Amino acid sequence: KTELSSFHTCILHQPRNQYAAKIKATPSHESDRIKSIIMIRFFLLQNRQGKTRLSKWYVPPPTNTSNNNPSSSSNGSQIPYQNASYTTTNQTEAEKVRIESEVHRLVTSRDKKYTNFIEYNNYKLIYRRYAGLFFTIAVDVADNELSYLESIHLFVELLDSYFANVCELDIVFNFNKVYSILDEYMLAGEIEETSKREILDRVKFLEKLE
Amino acid sequence: MSGMHLSREFFELIKAIGESKSKQEEDRIIAREVMTLKKKLESGGDKSISATPIPGVPGSGGSGNTLNTNKKKAKEFLVRVLYVEMLGHDGSFGYIKGVELAASQSIVHKRTGYLLCSCCLSPEHEFRFMLINQMQRDLVSSNLLESCGALLAVTSLITPDLVSTVSTQVMGLLEHSAETVRKKAIVCLHRLHQLNDDAVSKQELVEKTRKMLCDRDPAVMGATLNVIEAMARVDVQPFKDLVPSLISILKQICERRLPSEYDYHRIPAPWMQMKIVRILSIIGKNDQQSSEGMYEILGDCLRKAEEAGINASNAIVYECVRTITAIYPFPVLLDAAGNSISRFLSSKSQNLRYLGVTGLASIVERHPKYAADHQLAVIECLEDRDETLLRKTLDLLYRMTNPVNVEFITEKLLHFLRGSTDPYLRKDLTGKICRIAERYAPNNAWYVRTITELFKISGDLVDPAVATNLMSLVAEGTGDENDDEEADRVLRKQAVELYVNLLSKPPSRMPRVLVETMAWVLGEYGYLSSVMPLDAIIDGMCRLLESGSAAKLGGGLPSTRRLVLSAIMKMVAQYGSCPAMAAKVIDNYTKSSDPDAQKRCLEFQTILTTAPHMLGEIFPVDASLEDVDVDVNLGFLDGLVAEAISNGGRPYQKPEDDDDDDGVFGSGAHRTDTASAFKMTPYEKPSTAPGQGAMRGFGSASMGPGGIANTALPPGGSGALNPQVNAAPAPVSNPGEPQLVLRNVANVWGKQAPPPPPAAPVAVPTQIYSSSNNSHSSPAPSGYGGFGSPPVLAPAPQPVKTAELLEKERMAAAL
Repeated sequence: KTELSSFHTCILHQPRNQYAAKIKATPSHESDRIKSIIMIRFFLLQNRQGKTRLSKWYVPPPTNTSNNNPSSSSNGSQIPYQNASYTTTNQTEAEKVRIESEVHRLVTSRDKKYTNFIEYNNYKLIYRRYAGLFFTIAVDVADNELSYLESIHLFVELLDSYFANVCELDIVFNFNKVYSILDEYMLAGEIEETSKREILDRVKFLEKLE
Repeated sequence: MSGMHLSREFFELIKAIGESKSKQEEDRIIAREVMTLKKKLESGGDKSISATPIPGVPGSGGSGNTLNTNKKKAKEFLVRVLYVEMLGHDGSFGYIKGVELAASQSIVHKRTGYLLCSCCLSPEHEFRFMLINQMQRDLVSSNLLESCGALLAVTSLITPDLVSTVSTQVMGLLEHSAETVRKKAIVCLHRLHQLNDDAVSKQELVEKTRKMLCDRDPAVMGATLNVIEAMARVDVQPFKDLVPSLISILKQICERRLPSEYDYHRIPAPWMQMKIVRILSIIGKNDQQSSEGMYEILGDCLRKAEEAGINASNAIVYECVRTITAIYPFPVLLDAAGNSISRFLSSKSQNLRYLGVTGLASIVERHPKYAADHQLAVIECLEDRDETLLRKTLDLLYRMTNPVNVEFITEKLLHFLRGSTDPYLRKDLTGKICRIAERYAPNNAWYVRTITELFKISGDLVDPAVATNLMSLVAEGTGDENDDEEADRVLRKQAVELYVNLLSKPPSRMPRVLVETMAWVLGEYGYLSSVMPLDAIIDGMCRLLESGSAAKLGGGLPSTRRLVLSAIMKMVAQYGSCPAMAAKVIDNYTKSSDPDAQKRCLEFQTILTTAPHMLGEIFPVDASLEDVDVDVNLGFLDGLVAEAISNGGRPYQKPEDDDDDDGVFGSGAHRTDTASAFKMTPYEKPSTAPGQGAMRGFGSASMGPGGIANTALPPGGSGALNPQVNAAPAPVSNPGEPQLVLRNVANVWGKQAPPPPPAAPVAVPTQIYSSSNNSHSSPAPSGYGGFGSPPVLAPAPQPVKTAELLEKERMAAAL
């Protein structure tokens, strides 16, 4: 491997370091009411320093100019897409960056004895730490926290099988592969496949074509 | 393996970023990288890219471009752009290359191109349109990798207006021979439906979904469960009859009849189990018949999951608990759920305790008996430093509240409210405290104390209606049929003394609602105080008003100041003479920039100097609820009018086209002239009309007390007096008996004092109180048995325990 020794820690089989600090969670808005959409909002992979290693957004982040009001939906089942005239690429991107750094601040500042859940805006963050990496999934407040905690672990197991003792460095240099693993695992904000063999077979098959 | 496939350049970049010490350094490195990438894009020599930065013209893939000739380089270019984006910088210059590569023959290029586009393009980016054609083609490709790639891209790139361009193709893929395509297609189709339910109708999707649930491949079935859950959440009807199928699937999973590759830590397909259990909860809610069909399988599922005892199985247990509490209740299952909750609550794992608290919250509202065993555990959660757990516990406490534990729980909630700075949590807690205090207050004095404390902490987060309720409670008392005057008097006295204490030691910041409520209560009932003489209270109020500090006056709004002034005046009336300090304050306010306050003070001064003996009538004691007869015809003026007319005055002419409140003057008005009220001819030369001088002299006195005496108005209502004052027809005034006018006008306002505020009518609190006393046993008869002894009396059971433990138990017993 390379000389970046700090990245060499194998993330799955490491005792986690303690990171204690004061927490301040951003609360849930009562007014936000996209109740019927139970899906993953985003999946984030960040390191302790706050560098994003992977970020997958299944619902565009709300921007300040338009309240993520599912305006087109009469039945509430629609995905809150912003009115195109109000948002620009820059706003969406800036909002993503802002949320990502806020999430980083929240998850890194929590004591390891705390729960792995944080209420954040109108959804809930479920995070898990492996060595220096934080995996965070944002889901609806009413969703099953433990289920997603295990989803994260399954994802890490997938990475571990694929990279054979995965460490942060593997992810840094192969993040596009990490994306393809994720794409076989989750689709459109739902967990689509939970068979490890099936997912890894797919990804390896793709890789052979390179 | 890592890093070896990368170019030296990219490798160095990642390394440099990894070693950078500061954000600034990182930004510099990235800026350099962006330059390099841009140069690469241009130096390719491909005119279509370098010459046209304007989007809309996709690169036609010129062969001279190094990025194009070298497959690996082109792919790496995209990956590097993605890397730049991931670190929060703008990589939009490279998007066009992603669009271009999505059209590539090579599947690897195509996937990378789609990847960049789905990660980076914002919902309204115009490049999305350029990808439609490509996606359409790939969806129907014979290569399943291309179909899969396109399906992935469709889920993240299609916007509502574009749904119809791909929906037919996606629907076609539901029939594809490869399961990996079918399972993606059904999820993708649901996404399209969510985006635009015209292009992919619900009916269509329901039909497809039901079919896909029976797919021969478990992966497809598993993916379809997601869709069913999401759709059933919106409308459960089309899925009601699926219960037997779902139960049969769940049974097969629990019996390990699914391929073992779906096992996760030896639990059979936990995610599918959870999905099915969750769908069952949606279907079984408010549906006894469906619920009864699921009892058996839920019991089995829960029991099997309980056996394993790892995280994944606990997740299933939790899901079962939630379903059991949501569907039509079944005691055996509820007991099982109760046991699981106990196990969670007593767990060492913080996450499980959290789930325990959440589970308990879902069960106690309808089945309070399950809370009984967990008081100690709940108290321990309450002392936890983890705010996530704390919040859930507070929510649980709120749901557990009953007449027995309300004092304890309110105290706890107030405690956390005091320590919280989070605006959303504060608002939420404030509302919760108001609701439980109103619903379960053990007595009125407690309610007044609690709400006053809440005013102190939350201030203007409190619904103004709560303040109105409080004031009418103090004024009206219990409203019991036996009408216990003495009890009412005691309550008022307690309220007054509460506020007197507040006044003598005012906190550095007094919210507006607190100041206004205090002013009203002391103004009305200050004379009841036995802890401080009335003149001292008056002085205290004057100091408050004069302190000049807006913070102590709830922001120092003119309306607040007016209320405090009114309170001072009322107390002066009660006291019988005007203390020097009050006189000074009132004199100061005659120069106030607020015309309303100025008018009140001037009028008050006039009354004080000309008719001090009238004070008691102008400010009647405890009369905010008195009914007063209003002489709408102003008959007492008849003599005056007759005198004026006999002196040559013109009779009052009622305007013909007046609007609907004519009736007020109806019978007494002199209806002599039917001419238009508008005067079309020029005015005559002015002549001194008798009576005008008198009017000038007493005008303010006659109109004034309307202003002063409206003090019984609830906060914020003090503004609108003028219409009523104007209602007295102008050309008459009676110097002889101003007190009648005063009395009437005053009482009109006094009577209407607590007008129904926007939200809650005044009648509400009385009802609540009268019923809350009787209802102690009614809402959930079986429930309270477990809550043990009343809070204070709880004796320490075993003297051997540590003091800390005893304290906890004491608190637990209070629950």
